[in-house]
Amino acid sequence: MRFHKALFSALLLNVPAALPAQPQLSGNALQSSNILNPNISVVGWLQGETGRRNPAGEEEVSPFAVKEAEIAFQSVVDPYTRADVFVAVEGEGGIDLEEGYLTWYSLPGGLSLKAGKFKGAFGKFNLTHTPETPFADRPLAHEAYLGEEGLASAGGGLSWHVPNPWLLLNLDAQAFTMPEAAEVPAFDKARRDLLYIGRLNGYLDLTEAANITLGGSCALGAAGQEFDPVSSSSSTLSSRLYGLDLTYRWKNPRRAIYRSLFWQTEILWNRREISAGSHENTKGYFSHLEYQFARRWRAGGRYDWTQAPGGGTAHESGVLAYLTFMPSEFSLLSLQGRQVDRSDGTKEKLAFLKLTFNIGPHGAHPF
Amino acid sequence: MKFLNLFVLASLFCAAPLAAKVKVVTTTEDLAALAREVAGDTAEVGYIARGYQDPHFVEAKPSYLLKLKKARLFIQVGLELEAGWAPALLTSARNPGILPGRPGFMDASEGCEILEKPAGGLDRSLGDVHPLGNPHYWLNPENGRLIARAIARRLSVIDPDNAGKYKANLAAFETRLTGKEKDWDAAAAAFKGIKVVTYHNSWPSFAKRFGLDVVDFVEPKPGIPPSPAHIHSLIARIRAEGVSLLMVEPYFDQKLPKKVAAEAGVPLVIVPPSVGGEEGIKTYFDLFGRQLELLKKAGGK
Repeated sequence: MRFHKALFSALLLNVPAALPAQPQLSGNALQSSNILNPNISVVGWLQGETGRRNPAGEEEVSPFAVKEAEIAFQSVVDPYTRADVFVAVEGEGGIDLEEGYLTWYSLPGGLSLKAGKFKGAFGKFNLTHTPETPFADRPLAHEAYLGEEGLASAGGGLSWHVPNPWLLLNLDAQAFTMPEAAEVPAFDKARRDLLYIGRLNGYLDLTEAANITLGGSCALGAAGQEFDPVSSSSSTLSSRLYGLDLTYRWKNPRRAIYRSLFWQTEILWNRREISAGSHENTKGYFSHLEYQFARRWRAGGRYDWTQAPGGGTAHESGVLAYLTFMPSEFSLLSLQGRQVDRSDGTKEKLAFLKLTFNIGPHGAHPF
Repeated sequence: MKFLNLFVLASLFCAAPLAAKVKVVTTTEDLAALAREVAGDTAEVGYIARGYQDPHFVEAKPSYLLKLKKARLFIQVGLELEAGWAPALLTSARNPGILPGRPGFMDASEGCEILEKPAGGLDRSLGDVHPLGNPHYWLNPENGRLIARAIARRLSVIDPDNAGKYKANLAAFETRLTGKEKDWDAAAAAFKGIKVVTYHNSWPSFAKRFGLDVVDFVEPKPGIPPSPAHIHSLIARIRAEGVSLLMVEPYFDQKLPKKVAAEAGVPLVIVPPSVGGEEGIKTYFDLFGRQLELLKKAGGK
């Protein structure tokens, strides 16, 4: 429902470029002195965890932790642009600019321009900040290829509504500063340090209650450098990441607050140059199904399978199941269980208790 | 043959500009019904939320962007009724002409009689409150008159060539509305002054206009599902205060209201709050006619 307002609206309206949050142009403030202030909202994310991570000791985990407080500032800047800034204050004390960008939304020809640090339009799931996803974690394939926080970097991008009379078709073209491999494992910094992303996706209403979004994404960048001791020169290795995403939604508008179904699957392929002229192909995918069976209750599950970029044929797979209670549209409590079969043959079993809340002006409903 | 196909395809793309009718898109069917009264066949009127949907919880589906992209006038109910979906649609539609502050953007609440404007402090402990006042104001036909006038003014700015038609259509609408209000007042006399309980706080404007006394709600607070304790006290209150009927909007689950009505011994009546809320409600006049018919039947003295 309306809980995940800000960032969730982008997922639904993700057909345009990544719009993690939609500013409310009319403003909400009650006091005239506040009318021109930006909308300020906070998403708090607390999480409990029990079980044993494998490899053991890879990550120190507190039984219960304040994972993150995500502070959003959103406002129209002038008649041509709006600004969206998301700052993550991590429980351990770190502060990170997750996103901060300007959007020119008044361009002619169905165009929109974006500049700053923002999440790349690679698939649909990448656009969601972790506290706003239904999960206590991120899908294994996304972690393996796009990193723990998803693909975000500084850059710019154009988004275009492709004119046609049948469906909403959107084309994104973006260029980013190449992120470090530690942040986005599918790529690595090199001399050629720009990352290019293209995405075409279409949205179609199947019936009044059901709709489908199909998208294809491509990211082209570097995979580090290779030094040739004979010629004392180095060459840039390349990496290409392709993605296919399918999202199906069902919600009867006559009973919209009581029942809904959501199914999303994303597949990623990586072609990575290991050394000059030698490539390795790997892939990963996840599929997520969620059913809302009462006004405040949802149940869902996710299946993961992934290899690692440049990691050969070894793979890991896992399942996650959850039951979520939403006391209101502004908070949720989710009990989750996850089992992962690691590539070394070990099994990891974890249970999570995820609690999130949202304070601030009324944002958009998730789609 | 190939040339013919290309020609047909090109015609499809060119058809819209040649038609040249002003496109109006409203957030609800109620506003669309009023816009149609003013526009007649001079403008093309579309809407986003169907009358049988809860207007608070409409999904911002990307297909709505196709409607908004070509709109020259966008009309919203305002007062944050559509806060969960309209702003997201507007900023994604790539149509600067309908953004707030532009001539193509109209908030229908401006100039209307708005009830329940909070005077003091406000926070979400009170539920999903509307800080600018109750947004269900179209349920007072006098507000409908004001909205129609505002639409006529705005259409005349956007499409000055047809200003005369809009003015004439508005005059015809107002004349008909004045006549209908007399009929509606006569129908409402049958239940004037009765006490009612409603599911959501959708009816203050209607209740004030037609003389209903809304004493409580099935929702303990706006947007908050009722607890067993609230239902228990609600049933006791219905009995103690002599409530005559329980009104429920069609988009809410009727299982619990039916139980409340049965235990409290009052009739349950499903009353559509919007044009399109039932099959036969196609105009603003149909809406009040049907609502008053339902209430007269269920709660008439």
